Amino acid sequence: MTLLKADGITKSFRTGDVDTLVLKGVNLVLEPGEMVALSGPSGSGKSTLLNILGLLMQPSGGELSFMDKSVSGLSDKQLSAIRNTHYGFVFQFHHLLPDFTAMENVAFPAAAPAGGISADIRDRARMLLGRVDLTDRMDFAAMRLSGGQKQRVAIARALMNKPELVLADEPTGSLDRENSARVMALLREINQADKTTFLISTHDPEIAKQCDRRIDVVDGQIA
Amino acid sequence: MLFALRVAFRYLTANRVQSGLLIGGVALSVIVFVFMTALIRGLALFLTAQTTGQIAHVEMEPPRRIAQVMGTDGGFAAQPISTFQRRQIRNWQLIVDQAAQLDHVVAVVPEVTGNGFLVRGTAVAPIALQGIDPSQIDAIIPISQSIVDGSADLSTGGLLIGAELAEDLGLRAGIPVLLRSDRGIERLIPVTGIFRIGLSNVDRRVAYMSIAVARPLLALPNGVTSVSIKLDDPELAPSVAEQLKRQIPLKITAWQEKNRNLETALESQGRTGNFIQAFALIAIMISIASALLLTSVRRRGEIGIMRSFGISRGFIASVFVFQGVIIGLAGSLIGSALGYRLCLFLSEGVKGPGGGPLLPIAPAEGGYVLVIVLTVIGSALSAILPAQAAARLDPVEAIQQ
Repeated sequence: MTLLKADGITKSFRTGDVDTLVLKGVNLVLEPGEMVALSGPSGSGKSTLLNILGLLMQPSGGELSFMDKSVSGLSDKQLSAIRNTHYGFVFQFHHLLPDFTAMENVAFPAAAPAGGISADIRDRARMLLGRVDLTDRMDFAAMRLSGGQKQRVAIARALMNKPELVLADEPTGSLDRENSARVMALLREINQADKTTFLISTHDPEIAKQCDRRIDVVDGQIA
Repeated sequence: MLFALRVAFRYLTANRVQSGLLIGGVALSVIVFVFMTALIRGLALFLTAQTTGQIAHVEMEPPRRIAQVMGTDGGFAAQPISTFQRRQIRNWQLIVDQAAQLDHVVAVVPEVTGNGFLVRGTAVAPIALQGIDPSQIDAIIPISQSIVDGSADLSTGGLLIGAELAEDLGLRAGIPVLLRSDRGIERLIPVTGIFRIGLSNVDRRVAYMSIAVARPLLALPNGVTSVSIKLDDPELAPSVAEQLKRQIPLKITAWQEKNRNLETALESQGRTGNFIQAFALIAIMISIASALLLTSVRRRGEIGIMRSFGISRGFIASVFVFQGVIIGLAGSLIGSALGYRLCLFLSEGVKGPGGGPLLPIAPAEGGYVLVIVLTVIGSALSAILPAQAAARLDPVEAIQQ
């Protein structure tokens, strides 16, 4: 089974009367358990591709399938359900909910559809926080955590619903060297232990080197 | 849904100053609503009590005689009705017993009424003469409380007259005065007492006497001209009148029919109050909608991240609707409590120039359940626009901002 397959994906944006083609027919395949780096210079279309692969943005053309099923034409509700149950997201800036504790942030993706934080959800959130070495910060408000701690909470949140695919957009971009290394080690450990597929968008060649393979996006195409 | 409620509550408690101001604004509008409702209702109760306290709630009279049109050669002619033959209720004892058995009836007063003149020297004043049982002198109008000279005891065969009439004729209690009835019968009667109830047409025109003394003066040896009924609740007069109409073939009128102007005035006053209440509710809705719209803009990033990990638009929208409901509920409860305290203070704590309440407010009639229900519904409705705006946010744009 192929986890994610993009076939001739195009994306253009209209500004006034001008159409700008950002993605010019991207083809790629992600297999289960891979850890793949998505590299490319600024303006290459890397972020747009990541958003399309993450079902956050509709492509202008081409075909996208997830777990061998086409996701073209699905409703917002159906795409949201896929994102909630099969995807995890880690962003450059953690994007935690500041008014909630670390535990609540981690539990949120499961608690919202379930209607509350059940004992099972709480146990899993606790386990994940333990896995990112933040057991002692469980009840801290998100805004009271350091930058590295926030990013580790964001990783734990991405794993809450046991996703098949985690998309990470510059996950170490806002961290110092030490925290950056720690986060990458954590992602690799999760990838190997859970066989979770990671697609990591990065500018940093050192980060890309730590992945199983690297996909370069240049001028809206896979190089 | 419960988790959405929890998120809504957390958002509100996270920004306590804004939430406090918002709830305070709603509470203030609710206070205005409660105050206006209690004032308008209190005023209506006051005016109704003032009116119904001094009139019969249901009145029974003989049926009106209608001129009969009779055929004549080459046209029609109306048969004249004698105005000399007084209309009367002959079987009034039966009717009194029948009416007294109805629920809510507290007094049934048979009366003989007619017109006449009081003559003192060269001064002559027209009067409306009312003959009643002396034991029922206070049954319809509390005359005893309004006596300013003499007493209200009619059993001695005297006359009770209003203060303005007494001034016109220079009379005081104990002075005899010549009474000439509309039947041309004259009798010298002492003034037993002088009353002032505050209604000029009564204080200047009405004279009370014992029914036994009035009968020969008005040439009514057996019958009565009307039967007046007092109820424990004046509002029930129309239904009691309807009950009586089914049993008794007389002209039966509830006080509301004879006081259409009061009813019209109260209705107009009520409509004015409705406008003020509607404006108070609109103010609540606008303040909540604008505050929640600002919140939805301020929390764009968070909403975007929630959408990215698959939280539904419905969940996001319900978080905002719940915020509206919580603000509305808290504001209306606080506003109702403070409004009640304010009304209580104004009705009991502050006295007017006459020693009575400064304003005729009815604190219990503040429309509390209505304002709470309307505010909560209005708050939920006003939250729909910001909720939709938040739910429609593009997650990519929101996260990038």
